[in-house]
This record gives sequence, structure tokens and C-alpha cells, in this order.
Amino acid sequence: MSTPPLTSRRPEILLAILLSACLVALSLQVRRPTGETVGERWLQSLLAPFVDAVTGVRAARSDLGEWSSSRRALLSENRRLRATAEALEAELLHLRDVERDRDRLLALLGAHPTPPAGTVAARLVAVESTGPFRTALLDRGADDGIRPGAVVVAAEGLVGRVVAVGAGTARVQLLSDRVAAAGVLLARHGRAAVARGDGRGGASVLYVPTIEAVEVNDPIVTSGTDGLYPTDLPVGRVLSVTRKADSLFWDIQVAMAADPARTARVFVLPPIRTSDVPAGAAARR
Amino acid sequence: MNSLRLAVGLALSTLGTLGLGALGLPAAPDLFLLPVGDTARRGGAPLAMLAGLLAGLIEDLVSVPGRLLGLHAFTKVLVGYVLATIAARMVVEKPAAVGGLLAGAVVVESLALVLLLWVLRGEALLPAPLLVLVRAAVTGLLAGALQAASRVPWRERREARRRMKLG
Repeated sequence: MSTPPLTSRRPEILLAILLSACLVALSLQVRRPTGETVGERWLQSLLAPFVDAVTGVRAARSDLGEWSSSRRALLSENRRLRATAEALEAELLHLRDVERDRDRLLALLGAHPTPPAGTVAARLVAVESTGPFRTALLDRGADDGIRPGAVVVAAEGLVGRVVAVGAGTARVQLLSDRVAAAGVLLARHGRAAVARGDGRGGASVLYVPTIEAVEVNDPIVTSGTDGLYPTDLPVGRVLSVTRKADSLFWDIQVAMAADPARTARVFVLPPIRTSDVPAGAAARR
Repeated sequence: MNSLRLAVGLALSTLGTLGLGALGLPAAPDLFLLPVGDTARRGGAPLAMLAGLLAGLIEDLVSVPGRLLGLHAFTKVLVGYVLATIAARMVVEKPAAVGGLLAGAVVVESLALVLLLWVLRGEALLPAPLLVLVRAAVTGLLAGALQAASRVPWRERREARRRMKLG
């Protein structure tokens, strides 16, 4: 028993084949006004999606390569810019530091326009407060001409005096130290007294009789009578004035003019010799 | 037998078409449709389509020079399939039925031709409807006449006439 051919069973297949063959033959003969045959046009239309897809893939690959290249370049530039930004930031911080130092030095120079010969600009690098003792460390020492007894002043006023000197550093006894003292004047009425550190960051003014009219915020300056500090250096202002029972003197608390914790730049004045004590101060003394 | 009948039909159609072309009739019958229709009624769809293909190709060759080869082949393959499909479902024996079927085939082929030219050239070249109808009518009449002639028992009549002469 033989099987009939496929075209006998499904004449539609033969119909499609014959019609397609005729259509192909016709499409190769008919020319469009543009010169191409209809078959070529159809073929182009048929292949257009594939051509577009291939073109798209190639373009995408090109774009991807370009994107990758751009990304690498951007990453490299980003790293470079980040490094530049960090360097600029560091430089900015440095410049701000320098500017602050300059401002402080200008303030110092403004406060002390004619510092004596041998004055050294220095920096307070550490402030120590152990119990009642208050000291600070200078970044200058004997190699810079610092000697024991040198007076340390800030733009705001007196800080203390050098008590120990190393080669590159020096120890400063702050005026607020419990065992520090200085001859002072109540500037408003010229009353001489003694300022003594209270070990808590401030000082007390001693030996001001109650007959003196002392008021809060009265300025206090050095008198120069102690042979340690020059005259007229701001020490601070009267913070409070009280009187103890049966006492002949005021109990005066002083707010220090210079805060070592907030003062970095200072002048270190050469030590005062006894002979340097001014005549007026000696007379008051 | 069908193949021989088809070959003779195609040869006669070619000669007839050439002759009618020489006469320059405005609405000559589609003679190539006759063997296609005959094959469709007798031989089934595949043979009808092959007959359509051959008839169409010959028509394209002998028609006006420069016409597209395959144009009538396409339409006649289509018409052959349609006629074979109809013949497979109906009994088409009477001359009027054959004539009507072929007249309709002429109209269908004309429409297919218009559609095909529109697809290929991008413009619809509609033929004159009257010419198409006349061509369909002439083709149908011719097909009906041939069908009627084919149903006449010519051999028996000739034998009877010979016996009358002898007797």
C-alpha cells in the first residue's frame, strides 16, 4: 500500500509553492521607479529588521565600549579630582591655620606694638592643670633664647612666666597657679595690691582695704612692683567683691584676661631684672 | 489520458489565442481557461494547478511581448485550484453549469490580476468592467458549447449513418 505524495493529500501546499514561485519570478521582473526590483525591495523589507538588529547590536556594543571607556576616564578623573580636593582641603586647613596665627600675631602686635628686644613669638602647645598647679608648655626653648623668668603675654593680657627651660620647649607657670603671684594695680583708682592664683583658673586680689570702692569689672593690670612682670599688662577684671566678717580687706575674685586654653600665640618677653623696675612703680611699691 | 488531453487542449488554446490575437478582437475569450477548467473537473486540484501553471506561462509567452512572465501563471494556478475545489464538491456536467463556472473564473482571474498588479506595481489598474463581462460571457458560452458538443455521441451517430448508407 503506497502513500500518496504530500501535495496530493494537501493541495494547499502545492498551491502555496506554485503561487510563491510565480510571485518570486514576478517580483524579480517588476522594477520600481527607483530602479530596484520589487523582489529586492521585498528582500530589503524582509531583512530590514535583521539589519536593524545587527546595526543596533553593533551600535550598542560601540556605545558600551564608549561608556566603559568614559567610565574608566571618569573614574580616573574622579580619583584625580578627589586627590586634588583632599590636597586643597589640607592646604585650606593649613592656610586657615596660618591665617589664624597671623591674626593672633597681629593681635599680639596690636596689644604690644613695641615689644622689647629679645621678644620671641611662641605657641602654647599644652596646658596642664593638675590640682592647684597650672602650667603650660611653650614650643620654644633655650635654643630660641627663652630663659627662666621670661614673661609670657597673650594679646588679651598676662599669661604667666617661664619657670623651666629645655632646649626646644619651656614650662610656663600660669598666673592662675596656686603659688603664682604678681603685683597689680586696680587701674580705676591706682590702688596697688597683690594678685594670687586660686588654682582654679582665676586669681584673687589681696590686701585691698574695704575703704576702697571696688566694683565688679574694674580692670586690673600689673604694677611692675614685683620685679617679675612689666607694668600695665592686663591681668583681668574684678569678678566679685565680698567682705568677710571682721576683715579689713576685700575678698576680690578676678576673671583672668588671657585664657591659656584658648590662646595659642604668645609673646615671650625677656625676664625683668630688678633694676628694670620702673621708677613710678618702685615709688608706688 | 488526462495529460494528453491537457497537452492537446493547451496546443489548441495557443493556436486559438494566436489566431484571435491576429484578428484583434477587443474581448476575445480566455481560451487557456478551457483546458484548465477541463482538467479541474477531471483530474483534481494538483493537476488543475499544474495545468494552470502551464497555461499561464504559455499565455504570458504568447501574449503581448514584454509582459511579465508568471502573471497569468499565478492567476491561473489560483483559478485552477478554485475550480478543482468547486468541482470536488459539486457535479458540474451540464453545459450551462460549465459555462457559468468558467465565466465566473474569468471574473475571478481578472480580479486576481488587478490585485496582483497592485501588489507588484503599487497601483490598481482596473480593467473596463464591460470588457471583463463580455470576455466572461464569451468564454462561458464557448465552454458551454464545447461541453455540449462533448456530450453528443458522435461515434454512435457516425456508425448509424454508415449503416444507413450500407442498408
